[in-house]
Amino acid sequence: MADKTLPKTDVVIIGGGWTGLTTAYELAHEGRKCVILERGDHRHDATSFGAPEEHDELKYGLRYTHMMNVRENTLTFRNSRGDRALPMRRLGSFLPGEGLGGAGIHWNGQLWRPLPSDLEMRSHYDNRYGSDFIPDDLSVQDWGVTYDELEPHLDFFERICGAAGTAGNLDGEQREGGNIFEGPRSNEYPNPAMKQPVSSTLFGRAAQEMDLHPFPFPSANVTKAYENPYGAQLHPCTYCGFCERFGCGYFAKADPIICVYDRIKEHENFEIRFKSTVLRVEKSEDGKTATGVTYVDADGREIFQPADIVCMNAYALWNVHLMLVSGLGTPYDPETRTGTVGRNYSYQTISAVDAFLEKDIVTNPFMGAGALGMVVDDYNGDNFDHSDLGFVGGGYIACKQYHGRPISYQPVPDGTPSWGAEWKRAVRENYLHHADFVIHGSSMSTPENFLDLDPTWTDQHGRPLLRMTFNFPENDRKMAKYVTERAVEIAENMDHVTSVSATNLAAEGEDYSVVPYQTTHNVGGAVIGTDPSTSVVNRYGQMWDHHNVFVFGACLFPQNLGYNPTGPLMGLAYWTLEHLKNDYLENPRPLMDA
Amino acid sequence: MTHPFSRRAVLLGLAATSGVALAKPQHAFAALDDQPFAFLTETEARMLAALCDTLIPEDEYPSASQAGVVDFIDLQMAGPYGNGEGLYMKGPFFEGKPSQGYQLPLLPSELMREGLSRLEQAESGFALMEDARRNDVVTAMSEGELDMGDLPSDAFFDEVWKLTNQGFFADPIYGGNENYAGWRMVGFPGAHAYYQSFVDKHNVAYPKAPMGINHQPGGDGDLPVAPVRKEP
Repeated sequence: MADKTLPKTDVVIIGGGWTGLTTAYELAHEGRKCVILERGDHRHDATSFGAPEEHDELKYGLRYTHMMNVRENTLTFRNSRGDRALPMRRLGSFLPGEGLGGAGIHWNGQLWRPLPSDLEMRSHYDNRYGSDFIPDDLSVQDWGVTYDELEPHLDFFERICGAAGTAGNLDGEQREGGNIFEGPRSNEYPNPAMKQPVSSTLFGRAAQEMDLHPFPFPSANVTKAYENPYGAQLHPCTYCGFCERFGCGYFAKADPIICVYDRIKEHENFEIRFKSTVLRVEKSEDGKTATGVTYVDADGREIFQPADIVCMNAYALWNVHLMLVSGLGTPYDPETRTGTVGRNYSYQTISAVDAFLEKDIVTNPFMGAGALGMVVDDYNGDNFDHSDLGFVGGGYIACKQYHGRPISYQPVPDGTPSWGAEWKRAVRENYLHHADFVIHGSSMSTPENFLDLDPTWTDQHGRPLLRMTFNFPENDRKMAKYVTERAVEIAENMDHVTSVSATNLAAEGEDYSVVPYQTTHNVGGAVIGTDPSTSVVNRYGQMWDHHNVFVFGACLFPQNLGYNPTGPLMGLAYWTLEHLKNDYLENPRPLMDA
Repeated sequence: MTHPFSRRAVLLGLAATSGVALAKPQHAFAALDDQPFAFLTETEARMLAALCDTLIPEDEYPSASQAGVVDFIDLQMAGPYGNGEGLYMKGPFFEGKPSQGYQLPLLPSELMREGLSRLEQAESGFALMEDARRNDVVTAMSEGELDMGDLPSDAFFDEVWKLTNQGFFADPIYGGNENYAGWRMVGFPGAHAYYQSFVDKHNVAYPKAPMGINHQPGGDGDLPVAPVRKEP
């Protein structure tokens, strides 16, 4: 029983990151009173992320000061159902946020659109390769929403961010210099592409010679003074090299605080409460709707906040956790393969290629930005013929220059000892002469990769921890091997290269590990779709079982595409908000028949 | 008190009262020279210096301890990191697979103390060993092959190596990377960073010397004056 019950609000929003603040912005302007509950603190680019203090690799890059603190609350992890899950005692593989702006303040700003075929993955492969092409052990499915439906929303979010890039497909017309594989855009990028350092320039040249199609990273690191549609002012990027894991005190990386929060914080329909952790979503007696949420406030009191609409805008993993501890939807059971909450958790399949360069090539790696580099998309999605390959999916290959922060950026050639005199020499000889590739691959969902509640460990509120069961599917291991080999070919074709090495985290025999950083792209677990037996929400992001609960974020992805998730998940958010505003608010009901 | 405390003297072995003659003077640096260690005992400090300097030995550039890494680790162990900030320490504790990460029931400061103590038990006189022998011990430790009782020697090695590397390259405000030793070695110019007009000048070495977060103009002869930052 809560210590206190507050007056009802129209909308309660769980989480103050990209999707939560955007939901509040859009619904407050529709005349609805919105309350955001954010478990972390207030913070702001101007006062919290200023240089030089922000340029502290140890504090922010390695002690994770902007991220979630796992001292009291984490998840448990195992590779398979046969293992005992153990707590992830430190952050490592992924870095969820906490505090105003969520993980949106420490992202790199790589702003992608999904391929049209990504959103209709099962039907696309069935049509092109036959209905038995997708391996049986994958639970790949269509999103239930198409690229054409999302396009206006993907476009709008690019304008919110002041995205920098080169269009590769404008209204169906392919354009050299952009990503010719992308779906048709209704508009150019709002800002020109970033400048390129020597490393990515050499990569682009080599890829071009190989008849691939290099283009600059689509970037939310802004390249010109820019005002977004909400009236936010963004400044040009300084290429400071403190992007991912850091906030941007230059107002040059689009983030939810400057792009959205500052433009809504004084609105009469907007309220945000910090240090407010939602414990559970409460249901009506018949279970068909939610009545509001119970949260712990800054003083440790349990408060019930009634609301007409509950919006779940926490990080992907914590949305799923909250559904499980609240009894929303039906938990997934891997034995019977029934239930949906926790089903189809997937991740990202990452490998790396290092190209070491002659000494007269000086890369200055510390002149970096989160979305700086050149990319080829020829081996992503279904942009290449899969007929004889034995796998589905793919990944982009990027030569990136994010940063040269010296604890984390220590490239050394294969065969170098991992410490001692030879290591020391190799670090200093290669620091300024290295090109850094990432292969950013898709991750297919399977019946054996899922999220549920842990039977042993609890958080500080006594709730069971979320339990993650995950390993790389065989399909993704084949994909990563294939695309990594293509990346090595590009590296070997680059001018001035002296040696090339590759690290494939999904190589045969390698278990997925929560220790090395890979990417904060945990997806699925509460997926979108058109069939209530295989999705938690309908194609509008509305829960099948509780029609006044709307769900946002990457937990909606039925499997992960080969791109970074912020663009696709914000496209979905605006799509959901369009239907909330134009349909649901006037006539609250299930928007699709189950 | 017979003489003022000196970290430098401790690391040089000058204050060592054990029967062994003075260690060779390779661990000369201690930025906080007149302050007692915050966490380490003098014996631990000498062992740690020897261990760090095996990982990052002196060549044309300073060794780890010469760059202040012992000061760095001492402060880290005494502060929030050593006391478990960012570490979930609720039991029960079980041995896991490598993919499940750290599972020992020890805070970093406990792991450091326990590890140094067991290292001395396993290889007595570690701090004064000949380089080749010490290299062999550290190699065995890194491979989990050194007998440290129920403490896996690779877990202790991983922690010390992580901290040594961090201390050599972190901003000098944390006590290591003295006089930008690590940054000068690789060519990292530090915390101040406006490269908009430089990033596409290819193959041109960046001319400025390093500056840290707390850099003071005039604090180091060849360094440029730090630009005054205007608040946005």
